[in-house]
Amino acid sequence: MWQLLNSDMEFLVESDFIYLPLLLDPEIEKEVQALFRPGKPMENSGHPESKTIIAHQDRQFVKALNIHSVLENYETINAYDYKRQRKEFLRKYQLTREVDGILLDDTLKTILFQVMPYFVRKNRGLQRKKLRDEEILDLVGEKIDIPGKYYKEAKTFRDVEPLKAILKGLENQKPIFKSPGNGLLSAHQLRDWFHEAVHAKILASEHDRLTKALQIRLQFSQAKPEHAATLLYIADTGSMEMDGFGFTRKNAYKGEYFVYKRIGEYVLKDYSARSYLFPDCRVALSTYTPFRPFVMEKYKHPFLLRHKSGQEICMKHFAPPHEFTAENAIRILEEGLTALRYGYDARRRNGYHSLERTWVYIPTIDFEDYRI
Amino acid sequence: MTDVESKKDLQIDEAEKLLPLVLEIIPGHAAEGLIDIYEPGSYAAKSLRKLCNRTLSKKNLTLEEQLIAEDVARQLEGGKLLCRGQEIEGTALEFAVSEQTEAGEKYLYVPIRAIKPQEGGACPDYD
Repeated sequence: MWQLLNSDMEFLVESDFIYLPLLLDPEIEKEVQALFRPGKPMENSGHPESKTIIAHQDRQFVKALNIHSVLENYETINAYDYKRQRKEFLRKYQLTREVDGILLDDTLKTILFQVMPYFVRKNRGLQRKKLRDEEILDLVGEKIDIPGKYYKEAKTFRDVEPLKAILKGLENQKPIFKSPGNGLLSAHQLRDWFHEAVHAKILASEHDRLTKALQIRLQFSQAKPEHAATLLYIADTGSMEMDGFGFTRKNAYKGEYFVYKRIGEYVLKDYSARSYLFPDCRVALSTYTPFRPFVMEKYKHPFLLRHKSGQEICMKHFAPPHEFTAENAIRILEEGLTALRYGYDARRRNGYHSLERTWVYIPTIDFEDYRI
Repeated sequence: MTDVESKKDLQIDEAEKLLPLVLEIIPGHAAEGLIDIYEPGSYAAKSLRKLCNRTLSKKNLTLEEQLIAEDVARQLEGGKLLCRGQEIEGTALEFAVSEQTEAGEKYLYVPIRAIKPQEGGACPDYD
């Protein structure tokens, strides 16, 4: 069909149907004459208003496609073009990268405004003050170098008028596209009409998304441009680190994150009070179950079974919570950090491995390279 | 130097012993804690534990300080106070480091962490 629209043919549009010019050869001529014979019904039984063959300006056209059906199934018929047009539309209104959805994400808000403040230094000097969300964004802006492009995007993002206009049109229940009307149309005209109609269809299908986008952008229209830029940066990159606290979006699970706190270098002592310097690592938890602390990097420790990445920390009397909340996240990270840093008892040699080599245990993980 | 290694004998010279002391009791692995300031001469003869007890029994806290104090209390349910990885025994001067404010005023600083133990050693597969 798309090849026909790219030709220089003429089509007839009648009662929402596209009619193609009828080829003329003797066999077809006979069939047409039979159809036009008196007493023979010409109407399509399923659609009495539209005829199978129409004579127009001494030419005959045969019924081919229903316009609504083509539009309805356009996403399947021409997936490539539909995607291209949708992308173009989303880019025009800064709706790419699903930024609005992420900004409305409660998990990200919890991490940013409730978990992070516990682990980062918020106040200068000796005062202790709880920061409002805006002040936390100021702090992030001070400590993180936000690339200039996000400030530019923030400007477009905060301009709510184009979205308001689109939504107003949609909510006034105007038809999403005008019918091309009956009569002859060139392939070029029909193609242009299809383009407009598909665009209108995309617009309508994105209505919910536009409503959400407008809702969040109205909030941002009152906010400082720097805050909008900071949030756009976080939503786009999905990760951030500040004062050793950070989070990173999971690729496999939409809207889920790894939240972590760096432990920094620390020293553990063995039975003979010899010191072992352990390197920094990120103690993390996932916002998606199981809510247990683990080490992100390839790491070894008496409380880790092997020397590899993503290992759960061996914990005692630890009941993992059933939901992700700020309070639970802080507790899990703290227990993991405390276990690694303060949990090992040189006298009891608790955990999977002991720091020093012993005759009793089968040597598995060796810590000699950490000795100082 | 790491927290565990850096402790007593932190190179405080005689002149610095006359500086005010800032004691901060931090709950768990938080970034900020409960602050208390001691005038020069008011802390030298007292043990660090005594100073901590005084700080923890402070009244008229701000709302934010109350929240921190609650976090500290939660950690101390079965937990202990640690300074640079060591239990607090001795005087504040033994653990203090010299710092200065943005305005350039010098003071001695002692960070104390209230840590609830997590011994580890019992993973789900090994319980």
